[in-house]
Amino acid sequence: MKRALRPLGLAGAVAAVVGCLTPWATFFFGYPGKVTLSGFPGGARLYPLILAVAAGVLLLVDVHGRRRSGLMAALGGLAIAGYNAVAIAKDGGGLGAVAFGAWLTLAGTALLAAAHSFGKEESAIAHSRFPNVKAPAPVELLIIAGSLAALLYVVVLSLKIEESTRFVSFVAFLGFAASALQRVDAFEWLQSVFDRHRQVTLGAAAIAAIAFPFTQAGSSYWLRVFASIGVFAAAAIGLNIVVGLAGLLDLGYIAFFGVGAYTGALLGSAARTTYDTHWPFLLVVLIGATVAAVFGVVIGAPTLRLRGDYLAIVTLGFGEIFRISAFNLDWLTRGPNGIAGVPDLGLGQFNFGETHQVFGVTLPGFANYYFVELVLLAAVILMFTRLNDSRIGRAWVAIREDETAAAAMGINTVRMKLLAFAMGAFIAGAAGTVNAHVAASAAPDSFTFLESILLLAAVVLGGMGTVPGALLGSAALFVLPEKLRAFQDKRLLLFGLALILMMRFRPEGIVPSRRRQRELHDEDGADAMGTVAAP
Amino acid sequence: MHRRRFWRISVLVAVAALLLAACGSNKGEGSSTGTTTAKTNTVKIGVIAPLSGSLSALGQGIKNSVDLAIKQANDKNKVKGWKIELAAEDDTAKADVGAQVASKLESDTAVAGVVGTLNSSVALQVQPILARANVVMVSPANTGIELTQGTDPANKKRPYPNYFRVATTDAIQGPFAANYASKDLNAKNVVTIHDKKTYGQGLVAEFTKQLVKNGGKVVAAETINPGDQDFSAVLTKIKPLNADLIYYGGEYPEAQLLTSQAKAQGIKAPLMGGDGIFDKTYIQTAKEASEGDLCTSVGAPTDELASASDFVAAYKAAGYKDDFSAYGAYSYDAANVIIDALAKVLSGKAALTPALKQDIITAVQGTKLDGVTGKLGFDEFGDTTTKVLTVYKVTQQEWKAVKTDEFK
Amino acid sequence: MTQFLQQMVNGIVLGATYGLIALGYTMVYGIIQLINFAHGEIFMVGAFAGLFTFARLPTALQTRPLLALPLVIVSAVVVSVTTSLLVERLAYRPLRRASRLAPLITAIGVSIALQELVRLFYPLPDGRLGAKSPVSFPRLVNGPPVDLGGVTIARVSLFVVAVAIVLMLGLQAFVRTTRTGKAMRATAQDPDTAKLMGIDTDKIIVITFAIGAALAGIAGVMQGMRFVQIDFRIGFIAGLKAFTAAVLGGIGNITGAVLGGFVLGIVEVMATQYVPKGSQWKDVWAFVVLIAVLVFRPSGLLGERVATRA
Repeated sequence: MKRALRPLGLAGAVAAVVGCLTPWATFFFGYPGKVTLSGFPGGARLYPLILAVAAGVLLLVDVHGRRRSGLMAALGGLAIAGYNAVAIAKDGGGLGAVAFGAWLTLAGTALLAAAHSFGKEESAIAHSRFPNVKAPAPVELLIIAGSLAALLYVVVLSLKIEESTRFVSFVAFLGFAASALQRVDAFEWLQSVFDRHRQVTLGAAAIAAIAFPFTQAGSSYWLRVFASIGVFAAAAIGLNIVVGLAGLLDLGYIAFFGVGAYTGALLGSAARTTYDTHWPFLLVVLIGATVAAVFGVVIGAPTLRLRGDYLAIVTLGFGEIFRISAFNLDWLTRGPNGIAGVPDLGLGQFNFGETHQVFGVTLPGFANYYFVELVLLAAVILMFTRLNDSRIGRAWVAIREDETAAAAMGINTVRMKLLAFAMGAFIAGAAGTVNAHVAASAAPDSFTFLESILLLAAVVLGGMGTVPGALLGSAALFVLPEKLRAFQDKRLLLFGLALILMMRFRPEGIVPSRRRQRELHDEDGADAMGTVAAP
Repeated sequence: MHRRRFWRISVLVAVAALLLAACGSNKGEGSSTGTTTAKTNTVKIGVIAPLSGSLSALGQGIKNSVDLAIKQANDKNKVKGWKIELAAEDDTAKADVGAQVASKLESDTAVAGVVGTLNSSVALQVQPILARANVVMVSPANTGIELTQGTDPANKKRPYPNYFRVATTDAIQGPFAANYASKDLNAKNVVTIHDKKTYGQGLVAEFTKQLVKNGGKVVAAETINPGDQDFSAVLTKIKPLNADLIYYGGEYPEAQLLTSQAKAQGIKAPLMGGDGIFDKTYIQTAKEASEGDLCTSVGAPTDELASASDFVAAYKAAGYKDDFSAYGAYSYDAANVIIDALAKVLSGKAALTPALKQDIITAVQGTKLDGVTGKLGFDEFGDTTTKVLTVYKVTQQEWKAVKTDEFK
Repeated sequence: MTQFLQQMVNGIVLGATYGLIALGYTMVYGIIQLINFAHGEIFMVGAFAGLFTFARLPTALQTRPLLALPLVIVSAVVVSVTTSLLVERLAYRPLRRASRLAPLITAIGVSIALQELVRLFYPLPDGRLGAKSPVSFPRLVNGPPVDLGGVTIARVSLFVVAVAIVLMLGLQAFVRTTRTGKAMRATAQDPDTAKLMGIDTDKIIVITFAIGAALAGIAGVMQGMRFVQIDFRIGFIAGLKAFTAAVLGGIGNITGAVLGGFVLGIVEVMATQYVPKGSQWKDVWAFVVLIAVLVFRPSGLLGERVATRA
């Protein structure tokens, strides 16, 4: 009985592949991806194809965790094919619109799933575990390049896909593929490869990020989206210090961002403002960040004595007080109108808003903001990682884990908490100041409770206490609503449900903190990375 | 590892990554687009409005009304050789999101005009971005004065030549109401209340200026929070002032509560507001308490215009899920202003060049149309030339027009 | 002086609703230390459920408020309790052993989802789906306002205050005297020990959620009757204020929650009356009072235990 499973599963894989290469819709009615044509996997058909091939391969190769991984891949193919079949039936006016290829794919992936779920127990041999594989250096470098490429490709593609059904399929594909990879410990292995070549990875990532606007993908709109994500992510990392490291729940964090934004708008010679000032940008950023930090200390000093949820409600109150003040202090903030017409940044003769020719490539105005964002993000990330690895960072974690014990160990908890609060506020202030120029305005509507929640959600969804988590979380929260246009009125509902489901099934976030993991891997990393990791 | 070697390897890896990603993404692109086999050219009209969130009812109404105008234009082949498409973007009523979607429309070369926005605060951000690409923008709902006349009232200067609106500004509606209050109602002592939003605050400010000029007096200036329901504290405070009139800047959800609670507290003065309270829900909710309340609205009463009922009928027939709501008719007009300009400029042309976009702006400036909200045309600031307003009064549980006049 | 008294009355009426909702917050927090952000939405759902029932009653009943009112309240309570228990079972219970942040984020998610569900799918009396703009609510308690030497009180308001006080006293008695009440207090003090003593803590938590939701449902109907209109957004602001009231009074303390509600209501009203530009800043004053109380008396006005649980 069990013997028959493998050929059966392989037959399923073949069926699914063939199904993906044949039409999914019987007639043309504008369903995206040319699903009426055969011979190539157009549109969403590509995703089940890849998953089916992967599941098929996993039937043959003996790796640790392959059964659960293969099951995940097969289920992913089944889900995507099913979702598209339903969508085709709905758009095309009945089941008659769904063509043979879709049914074949469904049947094939179902077979694959069955083969994996009833299949042989996975091998327990240690050497067949992925993370133990070490490839020669050039191959590993190629793998790094490949994964960076995959990341860029995913970013570009998720921006490029216009049709909602295809985008949903794509996101489902990413989710299932990631969990399939996770189950064969692929990420753990990638991590070890990255750790062996940490400097190269970081350098290459930085260069790729800088070169991005020069590629075709760098249109004005996307660069603007990226610049906004950058601001948001910088603020999220700041919040990560407060919530992720020090464990202080701040529900009014957007207020610090707002303080920075208003400072930037007021001092940045906005066209519609209450005061006409022309100060240099770098100075304004520092002032904005400092003012926010001062606010952080002023608010923190009396309230940080409180613990846990009391602090949450007090910060929420301060967030509201800030918003109401921004509404009411017309002489300073122009009330509900906000300060508008914040001009483009300029450094000497260089105007950031205009298009520029660099190396023969025309860069749209927003490319400059994109670079500003990169610098800001780099600074914030550096600050975060250095703090995290320092004595202060360890003190914060100790407070988070057990405040009483931390105090008993001689940590001045109130001072440390105040520092965390001020650092978080400082970063938010800097991000807010830059945002005043990116968004060209500061208005009270942008600093509501929901915005604080969005930032918090970015931190928690991405993974508390990690930089990639905050980056990923902000990008996801920014791009997803942008793409789910077909559900425009139901976006918030989906957001709410996503929060609930995420907390239920993966409360540690997409990229969980590796504090303990890294401690274990420290020896491996040390030789390749020289001084970077040393405190 | 040596520094030079490290950089060389890093650059190599990065270049490999970019190349791989570029190949991949181009392939992905190739299979997803390129299905435009139509022979006619396509031009797009954008919409920037809150399509989600608490103002979505208004935003959806704007989008659907523009969609209706576009469908009708395509059916009648108004712009010869061209097919018009709708490109609707959601600004979620926030300035920064508005700026973002504006640059999305700006970078799409097929977009020739934009209908939007709902909120003046969002328009402030959208204006400069669309101006950069010479994309004409016609707002159905913005009332903020500085959008067309700049920040300095003494020295009016139009900030952006591509911006027009079919809605009237606070500078017209507020004083019109003030004149009615002091001349027709003989109101001397007035209490003003607004909801701290751009619309309400602007309206009250302009109302107050004119009222003082007319010799009236504002005995108390109060504010409420949008979303609040209990206004008894504010009302208790103003009750002993025995005002002749309560002027409210804001929208009907709060206004209807305000008037019922005022009457329940024994305040006799009627409530007067702008077009934000001109809605039948106001009367349905406040019931007898609304009797005698007043509001101003732009244009002559709609039931006197035949074209308006055509619009209402066509909108119903099109079967949209949401109502056309407060700004539907204006949005329909705004879209037709753009379509009319497109018909003049684009008919017979092969491609939409940047120079033609400039011509479209010029054509919009010279608009002369009969719209569903009245005559459409623009002055040198881009404001509507229609300055006819009507005062309505709740009489026997219905809004009845009591005075229609041109504001001078 | 009349004006002061009138404002006092306004504040008490306003505070009564805050207090009713705050009871649910304070009980749930007292037992599982969860800021149930979705509690405000339970209040909103109750109001909408009451309206749903009323709109579908025969005209003979609709015109007889004394008969209609109990039906409206019962349906609001049933729907609120059901919603709350579903949320507890599906969203909160699986997270009971998780970090503190997870349930809080979940609660915010539930709050957003419930608001959006009502906004998009609530069946309006005229058959359309989705309560996108405010909906009218019946007054039910009619009659001319009561006049006490210049101070007027609407009958509905009298009713609201009376209901709030009666419910608070009833709840107080329930927690003090019954076996279940004793079990609730035990669970609040130390859930693990309570379990060892043979108390079914899961059941106690469910009962707590149910009682809180029932009170919120009643508060929802009261709110609808007072303002004759409801909106999918009423829960958020009311919930925020109610939680503030609960903290103000000393979280976990039943009398404290109601007292906190009254204090908050009176502060808001008096700020409007006596502070220059007070109506703009009334919410600021509410939060300032909260912060002041927390800084100088972290356990709240009536809280006995010092809040040490982080």
